[in-house]
Amino acid sequence: MNHLHSQAAEDAAGQAHNGSKRRSRCIALNINGELHEITVQPRKMLIEVIRETVGLTGTKGSCLSGTCGACTVLLSGRPVLSCITLAVECEGKEIRTVEDLAQGGKLNALQEAFLDQGAVQCGFCTPGMLMSATALLERHEKPSLAQIKKGLEGNLCRCTGYNAIVDAVLQVSDQGVLPVMK
Amino acid sequence: MSELNFVGKSFKRKDGPDKVTGRAVYSEDVKLPGTLIGRILRSPHPHARIVGIDTSKARALPGVKGVITVEDTKGVKHGFVETPRYPADQEVLARGKVVHVGEEIAAVAAVDAITAQRALALIEVEYEILPAVFDAERAMDPSAPEIHPSHPKVKEEYANIGGKSEGGWGDVERGFAESHYVREDRFESQVRTHGYLESQVTLAHWEGDKLNVWTSSMGNFVKRAKLAKTLDLPYSAVRIHKTYVGGTFGGKIDLFSHEYCAARLSILTGRPVRIVASREEIFSAFRHAQPLIVEVKTGVKKDGTILAQQMRVINDAGAYRGSGVVVVFLAWGFTMAPYRCPNLKYEGFSVYTNYSVRAPQRGHGCPKVRFAIESQLDMIAEALGIDPIAIRLRNARQPGEELPNGDNVHNGNLPACIRMAAEKSELLKKYGQARKTPQTGHLRRGIGIGISAYFGGSLVYPNSSGVMVKMNDDGSAIVLTGAIDVGQGSETIIAQIVAEELAVGMDDVKLISSDTDATPQDIGAWVSGMTYITGNAARQAAGNAREKLIQVAAEQMKVPVEDLWVENKEVFNRRHPEQRMSYAQVFAASVATRRGDTIVGEGFWRTMRDEPTHPSLATTKGRWTENYAFSAQVAEVEVDIETGEAKLVKAYTVHDCGFPINPALVKGQVDGQVSMALGHAFLEEVLTKNGYTLNPNWLDYRMPTIHNMAASEDADVITEEYRVGQPYRTKEVGEGLVSGILAAMGNAVYDATGVRLYSTPFAPDRILDGLKKLQLKQAAEIRETTTEMQWSQP
Repeated sequence: MNHLHSQAAEDAAGQAHNGSKRRSRCIALNINGELHEITVQPRKMLIEVIRETVGLTGTKGSCLSGTCGACTVLLSGRPVLSCITLAVECEGKEIRTVEDLAQGGKLNALQEAFLDQGAVQCGFCTPGMLMSATALLERHEKPSLAQIKKGLEGNLCRCTGYNAIVDAVLQVSDQGVLPVMK
Repeated sequence: MSELNFVGKSFKRKDGPDKVTGRAVYSEDVKLPGTLIGRILRSPHPHARIVGIDTSKARALPGVKGVITVEDTKGVKHGFVETPRYPADQEVLARGKVVHVGEEIAAVAAVDAITAQRALALIEVEYEILPAVFDAERAMDPSAPEIHPSHPKVKEEYANIGGKSEGGWGDVERGFAESHYVREDRFESQVRTHGYLESQVTLAHWEGDKLNVWTSSMGNFVKRAKLAKTLDLPYSAVRIHKTYVGGTFGGKIDLFSHEYCAARLSILTGRPVRIVASREEIFSAFRHAQPLIVEVKTGVKKDGTILAQQMRVINDAGAYRGSGVVVVFLAWGFTMAPYRCPNLKYEGFSVYTNYSVRAPQRGHGCPKVRFAIESQLDMIAEALGIDPIAIRLRNARQPGEELPNGDNVHNGNLPACIRMAAEKSELLKKYGQARKTPQTGHLRRGIGIGISAYFGGSLVYPNSSGVMVKMNDDGSAIVLTGAIDVGQGSETIIAQIVAEELAVGMDDVKLISSDTDATPQDIGAWVSGMTYITGNAARQAAGNAREKLIQVAAEQMKVPVEDLWVENKEVFNRRHPEQRMSYAQVFAASVATRRGDTIVGEGFWRTMRDEPTHPSLATTKGRWTENYAFSAQVAEVEVDIETGEAKLVKAYTVHDCGFPINPALVKGQVDGQVSMALGHAFLEEVLTKNGYTLNPNWLDYRMPTIHNMAASEDADVITEEYRVGQPYRTKEVGEGLVSGILAAMGNAVYDATGVRLYSTPFAPDRILDGLKKLQLKQAAEIRETTTEMQWSQP
């Protein structure tokens, strides 16, 4: 059962390693407003660069195949799955991760709302969920329930049943939901 | 003094800020220089003899630093259960044969993932394929392929029996003979996976005399014990560090092969080794829950009183014993706990099949047992013309009732849960409407109820929790607890209890948790007892620190101890409230006058302190728990009779968790369990063919998304109270609530459509099939009536 490790990616990577000698490239990535000059192999996914090269481990990898949303970051304001986005594609774009949400050591209103509503349990989906919600709220100031569902449909959460997450988005968009935790 | 400031209130999570900023460190976020990447070679066959393993080519590959097979281990077996009857049965790597697809055969550590992966491909394993069996009842047939010999103490002529549990009382035959109505049904369930978002991840670093381990776990002291044992190291040489844990749901207890392999490879290479399981590996080779076949025969009086119940449970337990023999014990407990039954006979078989080992999963068998019994009870009620509430109230155990196993219900109040659930959901007003009145359109609405009882802590290693509270000079406190926060909120509730007992603020309490070197031993987050057991230990530890503070203050203030009490980080004289000392002053006085005593409080707690150990898994004799959590749940579902798609629209959960330390965290547990149950009911199933997983990813395995969320309303029936300085009794709320709501959904689908489903999930094809059969039956009835009418014409 050697094929259990996302075989296609490994095979491609293996070939690059063996024969075709695709060279590493030097790129500059703008992550959370800081420019990082890094050398990457073309096959490297954005999540690897963010977590391993730059060392921002807030972004979580789970399925590594674009099915769970845990690795969601913002690329020029749009949510993308960093586990299936090549790092070299992101040059010249603005990348935002969960580490950029709190400013000056102060949580932003969305982060506060997640805590107020109990929208965080194990916390593993939380960074991706927050980034999807951030993008949603940038598109819709007061998103409807349908828009919230559409905006967060790619993010799996096993702990909360999603109810508290929806309430957090409603709270932060000032739609009549009050904090339940103090 | 009686007023509570912290306990019983919905404080925000202590770990919240870490988790919303990305600061929270999970196992995969721990980075050590020089870390090697480990990978596991897994069996491609469900059942095969290993003729030979040749690792020489893998070892020779540049970049490979270590390769291990079972020959490189100490050969110490481990098991979820390790008792004289059920000794450890599993090697950390396969020896001689493999018994399921994905079984671990060898492990490599290399400088990077690609090299590790290539090394796996270079390991040559010669297999002799053996016949395999994938159906528990087929596996029981004496002619079936033998995976392991049947347990020697099982008398029946069955093959592949890992263990058997038997229990009961009274005389069921007499009970059935005296019954007005008897029915027998058979229920089945699918394999569902835990669906924890964080993969199974382990980083191990051997430092010459110390093994440091960061692993995604739900019980670090269990991990330490099993790692030390299989590595033949003293416990003091193994340290499991605290990390945040990205969901467990039962799936991360016990020792896993990759944890051993990371540790062993680190010992052999002298470098840190990390192993991360891919999602495909988790779906294909790791542990899922245990599908049960539940056969239940129940006899009742005319008024619905249960007179006798006979249960036969068959657990498809996978290729090793795992927790299979625990499930067949627990299925007995989940049968007998909620309803009075004078004559009960239970037998449960745990059967080996060529599937991966099974694990506990939120509810550990309870959802399947309650689905069976609650579905049948509704059928009985209908046959007798009784409503679903009345039949449950007729049989529900009353507060104070003693159970035949010696346990006591104490203040637990199932009847109150049932009444409140019925009232809140207006079940009796809605029930039967879809089947009574003519319906138009293609959507049918139905309502149903299910009830459950769950244990709150039992005696399982390490059996107890200890907590220490260290005072700081400034009057704040550090809590040392082995409790592991897997998302349930243990750190928050422990902080609340300490703040309450010590009269300090939530921000004055900081926790050091779940580090096997730094914190006292703890039961872990897997026996549904943390709030009760670790919580009482924390209460005691903080109380102990408070007593010391008061003692020192009494000496300083020259006031009897009885006159002093605490508030806002101060000790004060109750007779003269203006006379007070801050904790900082008391601390300084303690150091100055009591030989440097820095005021450290200690606490510990063990459930059922007079019981030597857990009940017998085989005979079910012995006490199980001292805290039964009862619940009644109502589901409203909507079924599309054209497509067969059904969904949960609203869930009502009324539960008796004793006393909610943090109501909002309790609510979070309720919502999560409702969601998991609706996944079980309508969406999720690990599909396999010949032992291979066909849907090993979240596109083909449908876990609930935000589109599947259901409205979830809950209410506590509060039967206990919290008093500062007194032991308290809370009950579990983290896993018992998957069960009643699952059963309720089955009953609600019936209420909506008239289709009674005996298997989960309630998939569209099953519902459509049921509707078709109903139509055919109705058509036949009409034909019969017409024929009769024709015949009766003169």
